[in-house]
Amino acid sequence: MELQASLSLIAPEIVLSLSALALLLIGAWGGDKTARMNSIAACIAIAFCFAIVAPRVCAGVGGPDAVAFFGQFKADAFSGFAKLLIYAGSVAALLIAPNYLERVGAMRAEYPVLVILATLGMSIMVSAGDLLTLYIGLELNSLAAYVLAAFVRSDSRSAEAGLKYFVLGALASGILLFGMSLTYGFTGTTNFNAISTVVAGGLSGGAMFGLIFMLVGLAFKISAVPFHMWTPDVYEGAPTPVTAFFASAPKVAAVALLARVALEAFGTQVDAWRQVVVFAALASIIVGALGAIGQKNIKRLLAYSSINNVGFILVGLAAGTAQGAASMLLYLAVYVAMTVGSFVALLMLKNENGDQLESISDLSGLRSVSPVLAFCLMSMMFSLAGIPPFLGFWAKLVVFQAAVDANLVVLALLAIAASVIGAFYYIKIVKVMFFDQPSGVVLGKSDGVHWALLIISTLVISPLGYLATSWFGDLAQRAAATLFLLS
Amino acid sequence: MRVSPLVDLSQYLPILIFLVIAAGLSAAFVFLPMGVAHLTGAHNPNAEKLSEYECGFPAFEDPRSQFDVRFYLLAMLFIIFDLEAAFLFPWAVSLDLTGWPGWITMMVFLFELAIGLAYAWKKGALEWE
Repeated sequence: MELQASLSLIAPEIVLSLSALALLLIGAWGGDKTARMNSIAACIAIAFCFAIVAPRVCAGVGGPDAVAFFGQFKADAFSGFAKLLIYAGSVAALLIAPNYLERVGAMRAEYPVLVILATLGMSIMVSAGDLLTLYIGLELNSLAAYVLAAFVRSDSRSAEAGLKYFVLGALASGILLFGMSLTYGFTGTTNFNAISTVVAGGLSGGAMFGLIFMLVGLAFKISAVPFHMWTPDVYEGAPTPVTAFFASAPKVAAVALLARVALEAFGTQVDAWRQVVVFAALASIIVGALGAIGQKNIKRLLAYSSINNVGFILVGLAAGTAQGAASMLLYLAVYVAMTVGSFVALLMLKNENGDQLESISDLSGLRSVSPVLAFCLMSMMFSLAGIPPFLGFWAKLVVFQAAVDANLVVLALLAIAASVIGAFYYIKIVKVMFFDQPSGVVLGKSDGVHWALLIISTLVISPLGYLATSWFGDLAQRAAATLFLLS
Repeated sequence: MRVSPLVDLSQYLPILIFLVIAAGLSAAFVFLPMGVAHLTGAHNPNAEKLSEYECGFPAFEDPRSQFDVRFYLLAMLFIIFDLEAAFLFPWAVSLDLTGWPGWITMMVFLFELAIGLAYAWKKGALEWE
């Protein structure tokens, strides 16, 4: 009976693993010509999982009913909310990739399989109720991601990105494992709820070391400063659709996982991790903003922009309340839309031969060449800068609201002040597009699916998005509340 | 919690000192000779001094030769199936405790590995030529 209930709770993960195995065999026997069909099949599988998870999120499932395999796995509304964002990011990565990879001659049947396996790993990560589930999910996601980063084998930059990502990711996993072993040694358990009970009376020195090492390992994964150094290189070298994937879905998963470790396993010791999170948040906002200023390459710029955004998400975590967790989820939702939109717009910059353009100077005068593309990219940049009436402003607002309500006024003020630095380079891009002399290199035609995704994400972050904020905010509130239920 | 001997960090002071000494010594082993040689030694290399030397003969070939990626493929497959075997032993002796769910779970695991093997086989990872 227990097993059946558990199996029904992990239905999305079962669907993902079965489709990954089936697509692997189809790809092996059918060859690379099945790659496009497999991508569509993978999208359908992920959409199916979306349909399974969505009602559970709307119902706000939580507590003992959502616990599977004796606390190893939690299919509550918090994980469900994160899963919906992850699935959306993965579908976007599957849709934008085929045209790009075919142009560079690297569309192989393994691409959709690897994306599904990474999605499966992330799905397990955000549902982890135990240190071991956490690690299995994280590694499944990371191993697939290393291969994806190096997917264009003929391109030395892609290979370099894969190697860098692998070496630093392995280092981060090692640090995380060390922290987990310390936590296990000093608390005697790997279960999040049990850890929280053990440390409620006080954090021993060893458990604190374990907590700090785990935070370091997870900070690597979300590319928070001071563990962000791999991000610009990997984002620049990886194929652009893969970079869009890295910047959206895995970020959601790692942030949700960090929230679970901090609020669930160490929720009784908020003061112990808050100082670390506050430092990482402010450092990420400032370094992300300053680092982006000198960049010439749009992918590197977006990498620093993602570091900057992680800082704002961590401000929500620093609050340590259900409101803070809800604000993180909302920020992540807006962030995924902005990231996918920005990278799709980047993919649409092509010269007359169809080669990708990646330099900021190529954007100059885009307004006169492709006004719609320029307008969409402008919306993305204003939204990332947090300028009303775009939805990015609302995301920043809820995060700061949560911080202020948790008496972290100084943190909120510093973060607002630092977000002004970030606005400089976002607005610089808008200036280059609208007021500089046309460079006339952006001539290539774009694909229908890219246009569709760009229009959708622009609509989401446009002022129209405010129509959904009360419903969406309510959903996130209830999802975040499940994180604080004792099960 | 404070009374538990595990929690008392000062108990681990010896191993900390041990590790610090180990790290310090190994750093000294590496950097001290370099520093001493740099300060005291005469530094005038010539082609004969810098050439590689192997048991009295000139080196036959570059020691940093590439080796075939096929070795890695086989090694990876070996590790996967070697670990699978290691995993089967504890499963087999605890089957009376885990029962049918345990049996089915392992069969699912083996099925997944079999699909992986089929993929590797079809891709030609098992063929040497």
